Amino acid sequence: MSTGLNRTKWEPYLWLLPSTLLVTVFVIFPILIVFKLSFSEISQAGVVGGFIGFNNYKEALNLPSFKTVMLNTLWWVLSVVIISTILGFIIALVLNQKFHGRKIARSILVFPWATSLVIQASVWNYIIKYEYGSLNNVLLNLGIIKQAINWRSSYQVEFIWECWVGIFVTVPFVTFCVLSGLQSIDVSLYEAATMDGAGFWSKLRHITLPLVKPSLTVSTVLNIIYVFNSFPIVYTMTKGAPAHKTDTMITYLYMLSFYERKKGPATALSVIGFLILCICAGIYMMSVMRKEEQL
Amino acid sequence: MRYPEVARRNRRMMLLLILGLILSLILMSLPLYTFDADVYTKKSANTFVGDEKYVAARAEAEQAAEDYRAQGFDVEVHENVLERVNSKGKTTSLVTFTVSQRYSKNFFSFIGKGLPSSTVLLCLLGLMCLSVLFAIFGLLGTEDVLHCYLSQKSRVLRNLAIAALILAIILVPVFILMNNVTFSRQLSLYNAGLITEGKEAFFARMDRFLFDGQMGESIGDVLSGLTINHSGLVWLLIPTLFISLIGAISIRKGEIESSLLRGALYLFVIIVCVVTLYPYYVMLITAFRSNAESLDMYFLHMFPTKWIWSNLTDIVNRGVPRFLLNSLFVAGGATALAMLCGIPAAYALARMTFKGKKIFLGYVIMSQMFSPVVLLIGISQLMTTFHLNNTLWGLMLINAAFNQAFAIWLLRGTFVSISSEMEQAAMIDGCGTVGALTKVLIPMAAPGIVTALIFVFINAWNEYTIATILISTAQNRPITVGITQFSSFNMIEWQYMFAASLLATIPVVILFMTIERHLTAGLTSGGVKG
Repeated sequence: MSTGLNRTKWEPYLWLLPSTLLVTVFVIFPILIVFKLSFSEISQAGVVGGFIGFNNYKEALNLPSFKTVMLNTLWWVLSVVIISTILGFIIALVLNQKFHGRKIARSILVFPWATSLVIQASVWNYIIKYEYGSLNNVLLNLGIIKQAINWRSSYQVEFIWECWVGIFVTVPFVTFCVLSGLQSIDVSLYEAATMDGAGFWSKLRHITLPLVKPSLTVSTVLNIIYVFNSFPIVYTMTKGAPAHKTDTMITYLYMLSFYERKKGPATALSVIGFLILCICAGIYMMSVMRKEEQL
Repeated sequence: MRYPEVARRNRRMMLLLILGLILSLILMSLPLYTFDADVYTKKSANTFVGDEKYVAARAEAEQAAEDYRAQGFDVEVHENVLERVNSKGKTTSLVTFTVSQRYSKNFFSFIGKGLPSSTVLLCLLGLMCLSVLFAIFGLLGTEDVLHCYLSQKSRVLRNLAIAALILAIILVPVFILMNNVTFSRQLSLYNAGLITEGKEAFFARMDRFLFDGQMGESIGDVLSGLTINHSGLVWLLIPTLFISLIGAISIRKGEIESSLLRGALYLFVIIVCVVTLYPYYVMLITAFRSNAESLDMYFLHMFPTKWIWSNLTDIVNRGVPRFLLNSLFVAGGATALAMLCGIPAAYALARMTFKGKKIFLGYVIMSQMFSPVVLLIGISQLMTTFHLNNTLWGLMLINAAFNQAFAIWLLRGTFVSISSEMEQAAMIDGCGTVGALTKVLIPMAAPGIVTALIFVFINAWNEYTIATILISTAQNRPITVGITQFSSFNMIEWQYMFAASLLATIPVVILFMTIERHLTAGLTSGGVKG
C-alpha cells in the first residue's frame, strides 16, 4: 500500500510517535509499576518498601475470600458471555429479516450499549427493590403475583441479578457484531440453498453459522475480556457484600486496595488478572490476525 | 387476472380471523372474574375452638347468614382461626367468622359501569369489530386478486385490520392491569383511609358494578372485605386474538406459514423492545415523581400523577450542571487527543509500509485489553508522580489512552477502504504528506472519522471506574460519579438520581443512534465496545 513516493525511512515511525507515547505512558507504565509493586513490600499506609519476592502472591492466594472470588469471576464471565452470545445471535437473526419497524427496533436495541453501566445498574437496583421496586409494582398491578416478592432474598440471588444486568448490557454488542457479519453474506447463497431444498436449520448450519463464525469469535473473545474487566455493575449493585461473596476479581481488587488497605496482595492479584487477560488477548490477537490475512 | 384459489384461501383466512374473535368472545363471556365480598364479620378473641365463646360467636354468624339468605342472597360462612399468645402467656385463638358471598362476573358485566377498565374493554371490543370490518372491506371486490397486484386502497384496509388486532392484543394486559389496580390496590388504599378523594363516587361505582346498586349505605363495610380473583384463563385472550392476527396477516400477505412466522417475529421483536425499554421507562417516570411517590409501594399509575419538573431545577442546585460540564470537558478533550494521536497512526498503518507494523498493531490492541481496575494501583501511582491526581486533565489523558486502540482500528479501516489515488495526485501537485492527509483524505473519510469520534466520546462520557478512583473532590466529578452522590447509606433520592441519569443518557443515546449504521460495518474488523 505504499504510495510509491520517496519517504525517509523513519517517517512512518514519526507518524506513530504520538499514539505510541500516549499508550506507553498511560497503559504500559502502569503495568510495569504494578509488576514492580507486586514484588515489593507495601505498608498499610501505602509506603513502598524493598523487594520481598513472592510474599505478596502467597498472601493473595491465602486470602480467605480468594477462592469464592475466583469462582464468582468464573461464573460471572461464563454465564454472561454464553447467555448473551446466544441471545444476541438469535436477536441478530431476527433483526436481519426485513420487516416494518426494523430501524426502530435496531435503534431501541442500541440503548443499553450507549448507556453508562452505573446508570444501568442503578436503575436495576431500583427495579428490584423489595419495598417499592418497579418490578413488584408492575407484577402486582397485573395480578401476576399476589404478594410482593423479595428479589434480593440472598446473595446468590443478588449475584444472579448482577449477571442478568451484565447480560442485558452485553446483548446489543453481540447482536450488532453478528448483524454486521450477517449483512455481508451473499443472499444468492440462500437462494441457491432454497432451490436445493434446504430447510431453515440446514441453511443455518451450513451457510449462516460458518460465515458468521469470524464475527462471533471476535465478539465472544472481546466479551470475555470486557466482562472480566467489568466493574460498575457489581460495585453499584452489591459492592461485593456480604463479605466478598458477590465480588468478582475486579471489584475485589478495588475493595482490597482502597477499602481494606491491603495493597500488597492487591497488586499480586492485579498481576494474576493481568496474566489471565494476556491469555485471552493472545487468543483474540490470533483470531484477528488470521482474519486480516484472509482479507 | 383473477384467481379462484386466491379467493378460496382468502375466505379461509377470513374464517380464521372470525374464529379467533369468536373464541375470544366465548372466553369473555365466561365468569373469569370472581369477587368474594364479606358481608358480615364476627371476631372472637381469647377463645379456644369449641368453647362457649366460640359457639356463641358461631351462632351469631349463622344468624347473620340466615338474615342474608332471607333477603335472597346466596352466602356462605367461613371461619379463620389464628393462634396467638396473649399477654398472660397463654396460647389462645383469634377466630374470625365471615359471611361471604361470591360474585362471578364475565367481561361483559364491566361494560358501562364507569370503571377505568370499562373504557378499555369498550375500546378492545371496538377494535375487534373494526378489524373484521377492515378485513371485509379490504377483501370486497378484490378477494381473488393476487397479493402483489392489490390496489392501494385494499392494501391499506388490510393493513388497518392487522393494526387493529395488534392494538387489541396490547389492550388485554391493560384491561387486566386496570382491574387489579381498581379492585385490589386502589380499594385497599380507600379502605385504609390513605386516600379519601373521590371515595364516595368510587364506592357508588363499585356498588353499581357488583350489586346493581342494592347495597346502598352498607357498601363501605362490604368493600372492606372484598377480594378479587381472576382466572389465569384471562391471559388466553392473547393467543385467541393472536389467531385472528395470523388470519389478518395472511389476508394481507397470502401465505399462512409465512404469516405465522411473521406474527411470531413481531411478537419476539416487541418482547425484546419492551424488555430493553423497561429500565428507561422506569428511569423516566421516576425522574419526574415526587420523593414520596418514588418510594410508594402502591404506585398504581403508569405515569407520575403529577410531573414534578422541579426535580430538574433541584438537581441544578445540587451540582449536576457542574458534573455535566466536567464530563463534557473530559470526554471532549479525550476525544480530541485520541483523534490527534490516532489519525496519524492510522494513516501510517493504512498508507505506509514499514518494519514492525504488526508489532505496533499488536501493541495497541493489547493496550485495549486491560481494564483500568487491573492497573488501578499503577495508574494512581503514576498520577501522583505527575501531580494529576484528582484533576480532570488526568482523567482525560487516561481516557484518551484507553480509547486509542479502537480509534486507530476504526480509522485505519476507513482509510484502507478509500483509494489512495487522490492523495498521490495531490502530492504530485506539490502537497506534502501532511497536506494530502488534511486536505484530501480527512474530508473524504469524514463519515468514518465522525463515527470513531462519537464512539470515543461516548466511551469517555460513560466512563465510571477510573473517575471513582482518581477524583476525590465533589467539584471535579464527572456525571457518572456525580449521580452516586444521591445515594447514601440511609437514604436514596431516586428521583434526583434518575433525573441526572436522564440528562446524562439522552444525548449519548441520540449520538449513538446516529452512528449505529456505520458502526455495524466497522465493528467486527476492530474491537469496539464501551
